[in-house]
Amino acid sequence: MNPPDEAALLDALRAIVDPEIGLNIVDLGLVYSAEVDNGTARVKMTLTTRGCPMHDSLVQGTRAVLLEVPGVIEADVEVVWDPPWDPSMITEAGRGAAGLG
Amino acid sequence: MVNSGGASSALAPSVTLPLRFVIAGVLALLAGLILLAVRPDILAAYHYNQYVVAATHLFVLGFVCTIVMGAMYQLVPVALETRLHSERMAKWQFALHVIGVAGMVWMFWRWDLKQVGHFGTVVAMGVGLFAYNIGRTLWRVPRWNVVATGIASALFWLVCAVTAGLVVTAAKCTYDSVATLSPVNPLWAALKALQGTANFVNRFDALGVMHAHAHLGVVGFFVMMIVSVSYKLVPMFLLSDLQNERRARLGLWLLNVAVLGLFFTIALRSAWKLAFALLGAAAVALYLAEMRAILRARRRRLIDWGLRHFVMALWLLAAATVLGVVLATSGLPVTERMVQLETVYAWLGIVGVVTFTILGFLYKIVPFIVWHHNYSRHVGRHNVPSLAELYSEPLQIAGFWLFLGGLALAAAGAGWMKDGLARIGVLVLLASLAVFGINLAAMLQHFFRPQLAPLAPAAKPALPKP
Repeated sequence: MNPPDEAALLDALRAIVDPEIGLNIVDLGLVYSAEVDNGTARVKMTLTTRGCPMHDSLVQGTRAVLLEVPGVIEADVEVVWDPPWDPSMITEAGRGAAGLG
Repeated sequence: MVNSGGASSALAPSVTLPLRFVIAGVLALLAGLILLAVRPDILAAYHYNQYVVAATHLFVLGFVCTIVMGAMYQLVPVALETRLHSERMAKWQFALHVIGVAGMVWMFWRWDLKQVGHFGTVVAMGVGLFAYNIGRTLWRVPRWNVVATGIASALFWLVCAVTAGLVVTAAKCTYDSVATLSPVNPLWAALKALQGTANFVNRFDALGVMHAHAHLGVVGFFVMMIVSVSYKLVPMFLLSDLQNERRARLGLWLLNVAVLGLFFTIALRSAWKLAFALLGAAAVALYLAEMRAILRARRRRLIDWGLRHFVMALWLLAAATVLGVVLATSGLPVTERMVQLETVYAWLGIVGVVTFTILGFLYKIVPFIVWHHNYSRHVGRHNVPSLAELYSEPLQIAGFWLFLGGLALAAAGAGWMKDGLARIGVLVLLASLAVFGINLAAMLQHFFRPQLAPLAPAAKPALPKP
């Protein structure tokens, strides 16, 4: 079986919705990279702000979703603050869906 | 493996800690509004009497202070990326606070000031624990900023306000037993000190000292806390940023100087109070300018109704500030109407600015607490509701307009000294609170009946039509 590509991981991660904003973390622009290496999914992501109260929920949820993707045995989720998240990172579809300007 | 790289929601205290403060505070608000509905003259008649003092402390300590303290235990660790120093201490503080406030309000009503002093001491012990606990929490803040400065300032003014309150109470008691007690009695020294304090404070005008104490609490603690916390929360909710940190910092320090100056000039009935009122107005103007800039820079077009409560509170803050400056002007005629304007000013400040802000932020804080406790661990495993889905927005909107209408009617009743109008206003406020209660129950219901659904296949949001 071929390992899942970035698009497959991102599609899976769209199940994680920021409960305050109401938009999934991929279209919100929080996921910086996603790849699978030898069965280990590695995701670099950020949050809308430092001290985000949803920090653990989103990170643990991301890991849980990755482990459900066929071909993923282990998941490594790293939260980074550089570059800092900026609303320009929201996808065009995301802007329309969540009423973001 | 998870590399969290910074703060986490694990920094928040257990769910029961802030919620017990919230529920106790809402019950105090309910009791206060029922009291005003039964006795609207408390609002519509001259304000220096035992019933007004009792009702004011029920609102300020029982409702506002209780909720602000609970919210601080929840927000400070999360917003400032640290951990609460001691949750156990916070639970003890809650017990002291509830017992102290209930007894204090009751004894104010009976005008038994010695007992007010005793219960006030219990409240003060609780406030001491609160200040120590949050102070130690702030001590660990990794990145000191304008928010932390504001919270530290608010804590300082809270301690000052409580101390001033105890001193004012001590001044209204008699200490005849000093003459009969032996100097070797361990109580003698304490009573002698209280007598000395009473003699000192009684040199000042009693009404001026009471107003000075009230400003320390309402402006120093509540307004300062609103200003500082909103610098973190409003950008976070609206996907915006603090626009000018220098302006925010300057506003905060001006407010600190204004609170200090107002305390002394109001207590001394000095004409200089106008200067400090203007300084306070400048601080509020800087704050409102910064809030306006944050709102204009927001990336969320829609402002939800929780934040609309807060925006309304900002308008009311501007109105209360203008009224405060007018009332600080020396040489105003001392008429019944003018004195009632002081009641309107306090009403706008406590029930307008502070309560509107609290109700708005409760629509953010309570859903988060409920969601975090019930749904956080299910993210990525089940479909979980969003925060806005935990309550009814139409009810929230109805509550907003009812509150605004009730506030205005009661203010008009107070200003025109019409008991009937004040009562109607308070009844409308009670209707608004009932609506809030229904929404609060809907949120809390998720503890018993969580709404989980199987995880749906992820879907890309549709691109907006060109």
